[in-house]
Amino acid sequence: MGCFKTKIVIFSENPAYLRMAAAIGQSIGGEIIGISAIPDVKFVNKLYLIDKMDEDGIVDLITSLSPDLVITGSVRKDRAIAARVAGRLKLPIVPDIVSLKLDGNKAIANRVAYSGMGLVTIEAELPLVVTVVGTQLQPKELEPSMEKVQLKEGRIKVVSKKSTASGANLATAQIVVGVGRGIGSKENVKYAEQLAEALGGVVGGSRPVAAELGWVPEDRQIGLSGLRIRPKLYIALGISGQPQHIAGIRDSKVIVAVNTDKNAPILENADYLVVADAVSFCKAMLKKLGKQ
Amino acid sequence: MNIVVGFKIVPDDQMIKIVGDKLVTDAPLKVSTYDKNAIEEAVRLKEKFGGKVVGITVGNNDRKSIREALAMGVDEVISVLVKNPDVYVTAMAIVENVKPLNPDILLFSEMSTDSGTSALPAYVAELLGLPYVSNVRSLKIEGNKIIADRGMVSYIETVETTLPAVISVGGEINTPRIPSVKQIMESAKKPVKEVKFEAQPKVVIRDIKPLIVNRKKIVIEESDIDKAVDKLLEYLKADGVL
Ligand SMILES: Cc1cc2nc3c(=O)[nH]c(=O)nc-3n(C[C@H](O)[C@H](O)[C@H](O)COP(=O)(O)OP(=O)(O)OC[C@H]3O[C@@H](n4cnc5c(N)ncnc54)[C@H](O)[C@@H]3O)c2cc1C
Repeated sequence: MGCFKTKIVIFSENPAYLRMAAAIGQSIGGEIIGISAIPDVKFVNKLYLIDKMDEDGIVDLITSLSPDLVITGSVRKDRAIAARVAGRLKLPIVPDIVSLKLDGNKAIANRVAYSGMGLVTIEAELPLVVTVVGTQLQPKELEPSMEKVQLKEGRIKVVSKKSTASGANLATAQIVVGVGRGIGSKENVKYAEQLAEALGGVVGGSRPVAAELGWVPEDRQIGLSGLRIRPKLYIALGISGQPQHIAGIRDSKVIVAVNTDKNAPILENADYLVVADAVSFCKAMLKKLGKQ
Repeated sequence: MNIVVGFKIVPDDQMIKIVGDKLVTDAPLKVSTYDKNAIEEAVRLKEKFGGKVVGITVGNNDRKSIREALAMGVDEVISVLVKNPDVYVTAMAIVENVKPLNPDILLFSEMSTDSGTSALPAYVAELLGLPYVSNVRSLKIEGNKIIADRGMVSYIETVETTLPAVISVGGEINTPRIPSVKQIMESAKKPVKEVKFEAQPKVVIRDIKPLIVNRKKIVIEESDIDKAVDKLLEYLKADGVL
């Protein structure tokens, strides 16, 4: 690259991740090219405003720019696009990075692996594709030039799109009550809801409860492949504590687990483990909190 | 239908331990969790449309895990030995070995429990020039057409594309079968082809450290739930979170 500027292309379906990708890009330094369907993106040097979220079209656009570095978010669509760009250009890919440094042409990245249990330091050469976890960094504002792009119709046709949004903001909640399979039934989730309400918190769930069983809305899934939360109090009701769930609650200040099994793996990652049935616990808590 | 299913043999994520400042990953090996869902879906497609399921695994060649895939209904397995597999090397190894099979569909899971990159199926799709549909939670095939529901956490998307294609699935798509004793016995007779592949990896792992947060790990066990809750509330007040 020598005296040339690093050409950094950033993309995310999600505005918070797009900002994070931009912040990491700015910390590296170079020309930042953003791809977004939203016009008011102010933290890039150049913005390609796309007319639709077509995965094939976005991959074509990114690869046509011959980037030195591609940074995307890590929501599912971002991950698919990042990996396809890497595959098409036969580039190295380092997903889920928490930090990135460049030393000439060489990149050093830290990423989480082993289902969130390990932090791995990885070395790769530019050109490179990375995806970022976290949304905490803020980029500085720039004055981008803008170009509208009409993406061609790809091979994957979207027939319908249904939001799973339930209105709760787990990412910023101070108290979160998480339900797992151990709550027993969809019916029983109401006790968790009453408890959350009494504490001024919100209800989330493990992946099986949110994605397979539909006991809580899907967008409330906590963990490696769902949301990473950072409340001051997390209460896990009937959650076994597999690493993929822990990955989402690691930043909680205090973790309480309620489990009938006092040897449940969640003990390793809990401040308090109450050995009890989840529903009885909710009822007793509600009584103590003067709500029933 | 020519069906290919990729599966990874990984250290059991429930047995990986943190000892001091080390992450001890030499745990017993198993088929990565959601890869069993990919295998199950592949076998179901064969049961519906006929044809053959070829499994491919790159990296570990643990015999017991390969047998498990065969017992679930995979017809044969190609086990590729490589030195330092990253996504690029693994994808190249898969493509070299499956291209001659002319697959109609290649199934993978959305993420392995060890490296967990989610990148492999997409990488393979691009090397083969095929459409890629990620995070599939329900799959229908009618003639040449694929109709898939994708679970994207904040929304569910229904998409259509055509065969041949690459698909990744999550745990929601099905419940993997538990093979019978007879199927386990028969799996010993199914072919396993061991091949080697060499390529220069594009990423190098420098270091692996555990992510540790120290927790208090206080167990509250009372026969009377009210007493347990009283204790908990006292602790939580002392911690200043209630
Ligand atoms: C690639 C990958 C990604 C994943 N991503 C995520 C993710 O983002 N989030 C996530 O949560 N999971 C994720 N998982 C799944 C994860 O591995 C676990 O399967 C899941 O977290 C288990 O959910 P659970 O604890 O609700 O259920 P279970 O494992 O079934 O545990 C139920 C628990 O409830 C207890 N229990 C039973 N009855 C009662 C009762 N009456 N009262 C109280 N306790 C009771 C049991 O002792 C047990 O500990 C992922 C897995 C993979 C492979």
